[in-house]
Amino acid sequence: MNAIEINGLTKRFGSKAAVSGLTMTVPEGAIYGFIGENGSGKSTTEKMICGLLIPNGGFIRLYGREYTDETIRATVGVLIESPGCFPNISVWNNMMLQAANLGVKNPEEEIGRVLKMVRMEGAASNKYKNCSLGMKQRIGIAMALLGHPKLLVLDEPINGLDADGMRLMREILTDLTKSQGCTVLISSHILGELEKIATHYGIIRRGKMIKEMTAAQLEANCRTYIALRTGDMARTRMLLSGRYLQVKEENEELRVYDAAAPEEIVTWLYGQGILVSEIRTAKVGLEEYYIDLMGEKEGR
Amino acid sequence: MSTEIKFKSPGFFERLKGMLGVDFYRLFHTPMFYIFLGIAAVIPALILGTQGTDGASILYTNTWQIIAADTPLYAVSSIAEYANMNMVFIFGGIMVSIFIGHDYKSGYVKQLFTTHSKKKDYMMSKSLVCAFAMACMCITYTIGATGAGLVAGTSFAVNAGSLLIAIVSKMILSLGWASLYTFLNVIFRRYFGISIVSSFLIGTGLPILAVGMILGNASGSVLNLFLYGASVFACLSANPVTLLVCTAVSVIWAVIYNTAGSIVLARSDVY
Repeated sequence: MNAIEINGLTKRFGSKAAVSGLTMTVPEGAIYGFIGENGSGKSTTEKMICGLLIPNGGFIRLYGREYTDETIRATVGVLIESPGCFPNISVWNNMMLQAANLGVKNPEEEIGRVLKMVRMEGAASNKYKNCSLGMKQRIGIAMALLGHPKLLVLDEPINGLDADGMRLMREILTDLTKSQGCTVLISSHILGELEKIATHYGIIRRGKMIKEMTAAQLEANCRTYIALRTGDMARTRMLLSGRYLQVKEENEELRVYDAAAPEEIVTWLYGQGILVSEIRTAKVGLEEYYIDLMGEKEGR
Repeated sequence: MSTEIKFKSPGFFERLKGMLGVDFYRLFHTPMFYIFLGIAAVIPALILGTQGTDGASILYTNTWQIIAADTPLYAVSSIAEYANMNMVFIFGGIMVSIFIGHDYKSGYVKQLFTTHSKKKDYMMSKSLVCAFAMACMCITYTIGATGAGLVAGTSFAVNAGSLLIAIVSKMILSLGWASLYTFLNVIFRRYFGISIVSSFLIGTGLPILAVGMILGNASGSVLNLFLYGASVFACLSANPVTLLVCTAVSVIWAVIYNTAGSIVLARSDVY
């Protein structure tokens, strides 16, 4: 069964269509990385899935049911932008209020559990307004985890998190999907982080889904390249550009996308009087794949 | 990985209980509630305690006139005929605006509506909690008036039954008023200033007062169908019929405003 199934989803704000005929399928148990530029319609789509925005057209089904069905809504944990907490009351009491709204049994035990998961148990008595941005994000994640949700919708959850927080988030999400069969829809601009956990991807542009794929398909789609460094990068680049069609300089290394093997380059450059100091074969990551895809769509 | 998911449908009372718990917690933990209770107590004390100073005329000869007029006065000719416990509904409106405005400002509403909570639960919970707050303000207003009467030395002679009915009727009317203010704040939820101003203007009963001025007090039977009219009807000559009328008016308007508010919320985006 699919956890999320969307077809022809449309949302307009006045005359501007933020989401236009979007189709999306999130299989149960997936960590679905939802990617797109600013203003592409990611947050709007997530807000519609969460019941905050009302679509102008199309349908959203969660586990085969209408997304507005309250029995379904009770199984969805959400963090959209920032958690909705009252600033002047403690983290613990904010959690208690959300637990009451969710009808969580044994709220103290449950809140203790989720705060421990995000390593915030020591800050439970802090007033929410005194928490740092990273702490607030962790609290938001803890809130989304209250009541053992089956579906998590997280909008930019790793914004503001430090390296430890990001690693913790990866562990939590991976564990939730593996041990509890939870499904996660996560949007983020930090593609490197997303790549480490996502099992599926959806790339949205101007309110339309332009690509949906599994992590395995992304892996297969990603081109390999040969990265190298020499003592004279400028001359090397000039020489390689004359011999190969796709040569780019990035991160102080030269990347050749259409060479057969490193040995071929090393031998040929040696013949041109250039010694290669470092060479390796690598694969294009999600970030580069995404940038390339966007470039294609722009006609670049 | 595929797991069997059992969906449990949360019942209406389960949902409402959770939401009421949250709203009552917030009410009791916000200084604003106690400030408004204090304001409700201080207003009659200020009016009664300062009357006659500076050589001004005595507005109230009986302490209980600060609670309600002797007879229903829809067309008022002086501040003394207007200033009574109905003022609680004006300040109550401002309190509701702040209470609901904070829901939106903090993002709580966003958090709430992503759960199984329904829009009608929200309307109902806010109306009930704010009605409770306004009823409490009626009590502190009465306490303030009594204390001020003792200090000012005004008469306490009254038909105790009518006084009790008048106070209880106004407390019951809090439900209708709270529903009205909740509805107004849902309509103007993105414009906090307009919410407060509209609540204040409606709370003053200006539309009903205007009709009363034009048609005179004889129009009372019609004006009693409205919240302000019924609030005026709950006076020192109140009888059991007054209580019945006020209860019916309060409940009917509460249902109307709650239904209308639920429809508005169900058709609107939450930001």
